[in-house]
Amino acid sequence: MSKPTDLVQGTLDLLILRVVALEPMHGWAIAQRIRQMSNEQLRVGQSALYPALHKLEQQGWIEAEWAPSENNRRAKYYTLTSAGRKALKVEAAQWERLSAAISLVVKPV
Amino acid sequence: MRWTRKLRLRVRSLLRSSQVEEELDEELRYHRDHLVEDYVAAGMPPEDARDAALREMGGIEQRKEECRDARGIAFLDSLRKDSTYALRALRKSPGFSFVAILSLALGIGANTTIFTFVNAVLLRPLPYPGSDRLVVLREQPLRSEGTVNVHPVNFVEWRARARAFEALALVQTPPLNVMGSNGAEQIARIQTTSELFRVFGVAPVLGREFTEEETRPGSHNVVILGHGFWHRWFGGDPGVLGRSLAVSDGSLTIIGVAPAGLRIGVMEPDAYTPLPINPANPAEIGSRSFQCYGRLKPGMSLGAVKAEMTVIASALARQYRLDEGMGVFVSGLHEYLVREGRPALRLLMAVVATVLVIACVNLAGLLMARGIARRGEFALRTSLGASRSRLVRQLVIESLVLSMFGGAAGVALAYVTTRALVVLTAGALTAGTTDPIGLDATCLFFTLAVSSVTALAFGLVPAWQASHVEPQMALRERTGGGTADRRQHRMRSMLVVTEIALAVVLLVSAGLLLRTFSSLVRVNLGFQPAGTVTMGLFLGLRPPEARVALINQILERVEVVPGVEAASTIQFLPLTGMNCGSGFWLEGQTAGDAPAGQPTDCSLVSRGYFAVMRIPVLEGRAFDGRDRIDTSRVLMVNESFARRYFPDGRALGRRIRAHSSKEPLAEIIGVVGDVRHNGLTSEPVPTVFQLHAQRPGYITNLVVRTTGDPSTQAAAIRRAIQEVDRTQAVSGVKTMEQYLGDALSRPRLYATLVTCFAVMAVMLAAVGVYGLLAYVVTQRTHEIGIRLALGAARGRVFLDLFGQGARLVIAGLVVGVLVALGLRGVASTLLFGVTAGDPLTYLMAAAVFSAVACAAVTIPARRASLVEPINALRYE
Repeated sequence: MSKPTDLVQGTLDLLILRVVALEPMHGWAIAQRIRQMSNEQLRVGQSALYPALHKLEQQGWIEAEWAPSENNRRAKYYTLTSAGRKALKVEAAQWERLSAAISLVVKPV
Repeated sequence: MRWTRKLRLRVRSLLRSSQVEEELDEELRYHRDHLVEDYVAAGMPPEDARDAALREMGGIEQRKEECRDARGIAFLDSLRKDSTYALRALRKSPGFSFVAILSLALGIGANTTIFTFVNAVLLRPLPYPGSDRLVVLREQPLRSEGTVNVHPVNFVEWRARARAFEALALVQTPPLNVMGSNGAEQIARIQTTSELFRVFGVAPVLGREFTEEETRPGSHNVVILGHGFWHRWFGGDPGVLGRSLAVSDGSLTIIGVAPAGLRIGVMEPDAYTPLPINPANPAEIGSRSFQCYGRLKPGMSLGAVKAEMTVIASALARQYRLDEGMGVFVSGLHEYLVREGRPALRLLMAVVATVLVIACVNLAGLLMARGIARRGEFALRTSLGASRSRLVRQLVIESLVLSMFGGAAGVALAYVTTRALVVLTAGALTAGTTDPIGLDATCLFFTLAVSSVTALAFGLVPAWQASHVEPQMALRERTGGGTADRRQHRMRSMLVVTEIALAVVLLVSAGLLLRTFSSLVRVNLGFQPAGTVTMGLFLGLRPPEARVALINQILERVEVVPGVEAASTIQFLPLTGMNCGSGFWLEGQTAGDAPAGQPTDCSLVSRGYFAVMRIPVLEGRAFDGRDRIDTSRVLMVNESFARRYFPDGRALGRRIRAHSSKEPLAEIIGVVGDVRHNGLTSEPVPTVFQLHAQRPGYITNLVVRTTGDPSTQAAAIRRAIQEVDRTQAVSGVKTMEQYLGDALSRPRLYATLVTCFAVMAVMLAAVGVYGLLAYVVTQRTHEIGIRLALGAARGRVFLDLFGQGARLVIAGLVVGVLVALGLRGVASTLLFGVTAGDPLTYLMAAAVFSAVACAAVTIPARRASLVEPINALRYE
């Protein structure tokens, strides 16, 4: 299991933005979705998830709204804002560059 | 867009914190429940699933804290906590808080008060549109600092040649005698060319301005009323246009009303009349006796105007004889109006800033001592995990809270002192400004800024020092002796030396200003002001013979008023800042030649003037009834004139022309003593006295010597004048002693204010010395006890501590004297009769401070020598 601290700094933000870009989601669903999408490789614990969500909300990249969830309880749904969409584009491009660069270095000769 | 949302979120976090907290709780609970469900689904018993979920969640409280941090409320939250804590800490030591807030209130209050004046006089722009483009133009003899009024010939040339101005106006301010229901009244009138209102960027509230045609020669009996006068005489009647204003020689048609608050220079005219200029011969209305105001074109800089006017002036100097050696002086109007108050306000601002610095230094010392006393507390907090920055923040917030209280008290103080000063100084501080002086938003902002800067300045260093604790050390030894203590002691000593030095600088300044004032009071004026009353007379446009006859009748009538000893006239009274400069021409020079001597004042008096003013006639005789308009011209000169131009001592009987080279030759019949006409501090100028009865002027001042209290005679004198001519108004009834009082008011004010501030500074510095020494004694009680127990003499202990204090005082004195000597040049323009390096003043300042400091040092030193060894040791 990969702990969030193992993630490159700032990557969690990127993951959250990417996942929330699909549809409005609450915290639990975001964590689940990241796990599924990464073939169970990335598990985001709530200890990192919620502070990150609150920070992104403060930055104005995602918006929160209370809505009934699938099990009929009230849950806080996060939606990507237009600013967040722009940020996602920038961050994703940056990530592409970074990971490509790292694999160039790490790739066995 | 984005930042507004952020702000909203943050404000919500802060204000609706309980709701935000609940939502946070609910969000995390939702997550936990899902986790539990997951584990149950994986086959775990519900109890275990719950435990596992909680384990994985970690400390819920920690998560919440992290979320709060992410929301950025942690900082604000702890700020609130620190403030509450600070208030509690300050309440716990009321003595310290009281002293701290009081000294801050004094320092900040003094600064706010003086800043209120600086703001009103120097900073606030004039209340006209585009007021930064208003300039005043004057003429300036080359190689001279002083400036003179403008010649109409030059005004016409400037208006034709200069491209820098949007509008240019020439004005003169002869009073106007208007006829009211109860006799004649003299009002303030401005005669002006057509563009005056455009210069000031305003328009009449009713009616119109003067046309160009109305400011040409011819009879244009029109008047624009001043706003105040319109209300006073016509009750603000909007139908006033077209009505007439009765004046002593006819009537004027009212064509307009000026806007409220329009001031031409410092004068708020009651009436505006046209100044007729004949472009073909401007000199026919007079010579250098006009003021000139201009409005620059937008974007035109003062430097560019000065350059243009310099070029024009040098062209005019080649063209006109009267412009030889003359240049043009251009200044922003605001700058020009406040020129007299500026140096004093700057000095006072520097003085109050120094007082504030002393107050702050004092507080820094107090806070350091307090920091040591609270070392245990900090050590405890450090060992419980408080970071150093957190402790520093805590302490800085404490000083912020202190300074905010101090600032609030300071504003309250300033509110009172500003009003008091406005009354007490009677305009001496506010020359050039007629706006009301009061605390406004700028002043409050200034106070807030000063308070915050103060808090940081005096709070940061002690806070940094105090926060530097090693837990085990502080918990172990509660009484000093460590290296930190020594460093702290050295620092506090330096602070005290700084305070003393600053206080000494202020004492020296106060001493110099006090000596200046006493020199001014003792200055030999050359005449006796006591027992004389004066009033202005405007003789109107009568023919010369009638003006002579009128003055003769008035003088004869006034001299028989009971209680009047003698009466005479002079065109411009001494000490009023008015004079008539001109040259004189020796016999043999022809018309158009340059004058033989400059500068020379030309004074127009009536017979008996020197007797009334008690000015001694040194040689020859004074003017008397024999000198009439139809007898040969005679002159008198003062001692300076005789000595400068006739050093052979034979001025009597020489024949010269004064005032203009076209005047007839006149014989010098007498030499009188010098008078300080232009003010207490200016040396007498060579002066020629001409006789009103031979060359009558239009404006003059009656000077009456009385036997009783001169001010009670004024009404009777005025009645006597109106018995001679019902239409004759008088203005500005004032005794010569009042003029003297006015001349002394500013130096008196400076001396008084600076002395007050210096006393404050000395007190604060003394408290600083006392505080440090008292602290040392407390720290060393134990040691002193041991020394006494071992047989040390009490006198020895006393001397030891006294010496410690004395060293600080001497160091402070030396530094202070050196700094004061270094700043010698700063205030020299405000001094008179004493040099800025005056040794006596320095000695006195040092002596005064030493005496105060001696008391401050003796008390704790004596307390140390009276320590009872048993008690001192028992406390351990």
